[in-house]
Amino acid sequence: MIQSIIKRDGRVVLYDQNKIAAAILRAMEAASDGNAADAARVANDVQRDLEKHSVGSAPDIEAIQDAVERQLMNHGFNAAAKAYILYRANRTRAREANTALMKTIDEITNIDARVSDMKRDNANIDGNTAMGSMLQIGSAGAKAYNEMYLLRPEHAKAYREGDIHIHDFDFYSLTTTCCQIDILKLFHGGFSTGHGHIREPQSIQSYAALAAIAIQSNQNDQHGGQSIPNFDYAMAEGVAKTYRKAYYRLLAEALEDRLDLEEQTATIKALVKDVEAKVGEQPRLENSPAFDEAVIYALTKRYDLPLGDSAKVVSRTKKRAWKKTDRDTHQAMEGFVHNLNTMHSRAGAQTPFSSINYGTDTTPEGQMVIRNILLALDAGLGHGETCIFPIHIFKVKEGVNYNEGDPNYELFRLSCKVSAKRLFPNYTFLDAPFNLQYYVPGRPETEVATMGCRTRVMGNVYDPTREIAYSRGNLSFTSINLPRLALESNGDEKVFYEKLQAMLELVAQQLLDRFEIQANKHIYNYPFLMGQGVWLDSDKLTLQDDLREVLKHGTLSIGFIGLAETLTALYGQHHGESEETQKKGLEIIGFMRDYCDKRSQELKMNFSLLATPAEGLSGRFIRMDQKRYGKIRGITDREYYTNSFHIPVWYHISAYDKIRLEAPYHALCNAGHISYVELDGDTARNVEAFEAVVRCMHDCGVGYGSINHPVDRDPICGYVGIIGDVCPRCGRREGEEIPQERIDELRKMYPEMPAFQGIE
Amino acid sequence: MTAKSNNEKMGQGVGFERIRRITGYLVGTMDKWNDAKRAEERDRVKHGLTKNA
Repeated sequence: MIQSIIKRDGRVVLYDQNKIAAAILRAMEAASDGNAADAARVANDVQRDLEKHSVGSAPDIEAIQDAVERQLMNHGFNAAAKAYILYRANRTRAREANTALMKTIDEITNIDARVSDMKRDNANIDGNTAMGSMLQIGSAGAKAYNEMYLLRPEHAKAYREGDIHIHDFDFYSLTTTCCQIDILKLFHGGFSTGHGHIREPQSIQSYAALAAIAIQSNQNDQHGGQSIPNFDYAMAEGVAKTYRKAYYRLLAEALEDRLDLEEQTATIKALVKDVEAKVGEQPRLENSPAFDEAVIYALTKRYDLPLGDSAKVVSRTKKRAWKKTDRDTHQAMEGFVHNLNTMHSRAGAQTPFSSINYGTDTTPEGQMVIRNILLALDAGLGHGETCIFPIHIFKVKEGVNYNEGDPNYELFRLSCKVSAKRLFPNYTFLDAPFNLQYYVPGRPETEVATMGCRTRVMGNVYDPTREIAYSRGNLSFTSINLPRLALESNGDEKVFYEKLQAMLELVAQQLLDRFEIQANKHIYNYPFLMGQGVWLDSDKLTLQDDLREVLKHGTLSIGFIGLAETLTALYGQHHGESEETQKKGLEIIGFMRDYCDKRSQELKMNFSLLATPAEGLSGRFIRMDQKRYGKIRGITDREYYTNSFHIPVWYHISAYDKIRLEAPYHALCNAGHISYVELDGDTARNVEAFEAVVRCMHDCGVGYGSINHPVDRDPICGYVGIIGDVCPRCGRREGEEIPQERIDELRKMYPEMPAFQGIE
Repeated sequence: MTAKSNNEKMGQGVGFERIRRITGYLVGTMDKWNDAKRAEERDRVKHGLTKNA
């Protein structure tokens, strides 16, 4: 006779057969296999079973569950037995997850980020700070919950075992990835941050300050990066407003000085407004001769000035207003860059992950913006440090800025000079056929823009009349471990494609499951993104509407990593080694793209293929694959899988060949792509050579590219910038020591100087 | 390599670091990079500008 049982925590409690019957009934109901009477009969036999198996001692929980499984099967309730076993396995997994979660939190709490790889998974979060740790703890808890309760078992298994990687998994149930913020639409009529209403800005300084606020606000509604697709076009409006104000005031002042008059601003403003109405033009950086003449004539009439004197006043005013506007714009751009490198988001754990796109506005105001943002980037931060944010993206377009004689060609040249020093801007190429197909001159929203590390949104199967970059973004993305599929196929191409097809289907289903969660949210979950109409069509929603339809403007992206290792596993070499393998590489990626297009058409949703920006992922898959397969030469013998479709970083190849071989993959990866070229410092600082590489990317059909070169930092004094032989801040040479007193002196001048902790 | 040779001086044997693009974006100094990305960065080779470099 069983009297008592032993619980998991070791406590001994009274045996209660009803509880066993209830558990059995739950399994029967879940499987529609048996009723309460059946459950009671099985429970009776469980007791007899236990008496036989645990003679003289109290059974523990595991023994009871074993007996339940045996007796369910003995009675022929096979479906119920299966449900019970599944339930039991899930509970076991949940208990293990709890233990793992506590261990993770323990590591976040107690281990220095410099020795904890886990805490450096995302380099933008400082895992050593209070808020950074809180974010990581929240993230760990959310991941454990999401895996246990939100994923289908097959998706959880694929994720856990490294067949796939679900990006931003901690935000699985919460929000979407990123958005291109149409800053002009947001500014017109003013907006609200959720902590107060802001009027429409009236000067370039306010335009720039509010642009940073907009990025910050939206960052708190999404887990990915924030981008402004029309930075030049938008800021140009602020420049025009600043110029107009300066024009009125400086013209009044010039007259006051010349004619020894008191306050003339109101009179002048009325006079110029009158001219504006007649000529149909406002004061701007480049006015028509008709406008200038009309102002001159009006001044002469109003103040009884000789025409020649009026002309001089106007000409001087124009020069001064231009100069003041240019200075204000420069300060505004500097302030913007400083803001984005110092302002906090997510409770101070991060600076907003921001991008700005520019280069194609050919108005004088737009050109002033582009020149000054480039100069601000060139100058760097307070002590000349290289700015980490925003990511600058220069949009290259023939007829606009690509060739000598194009209106913005000089700005393109300037961008090359700046990028050669500061690593930004990156370049997006509007002439690549897959970008050009959307381009409509005079409609900047049709110019491809990039956000975060590479995300691109253009095509729109859901609403083909809205194939634009503005107000859209990625909803979520999941990446496939391609090399593992190849390794599991043992060099058999046919098997590989079958596995790839199955994996694509699994990922698409998982993305759709995640979409279901996202689709059921409401405006009030995203007070800025949706509440302020930042996302396309969100301004048409009511509080009751869910987000399903408007979210369909976004993309569901399937990513991949390690094409090079995949090809090596299948064909013995990667795509940098032979044209034959390059062809095979394009077939694989083309196959994935076809799948995305097919699902897009079938569901009228935007599935797209992503060349995954593997930061945390670069090591995750390969660590698991090394355990499974060992270190296989050219495949699993390094600490990372090669980024997306890149030629391996360690492979010697010319810049030209690398670009030529990677370019066709840009056309296939419509969710985003990037190619890099590594130049040594001297070549990079040779602007001609730098520009030649950018031109090569353009001509080969690359969509998005950048050039890597060394930008140095002295860890002793914290100086960041270009360092020749001698550090410009502390004056030491590489490897030299300097007195502690000197460090202390420098720290007084540079309070942000890091305390040097030693070499890792 | 020693960071501090004694209490009065710092920096002996310490080289200059480089800011590198981690993957499309920058994150500042490489002390925040995860181990795999550090290894990848170490392995990167320069690309020459001639066609058969």
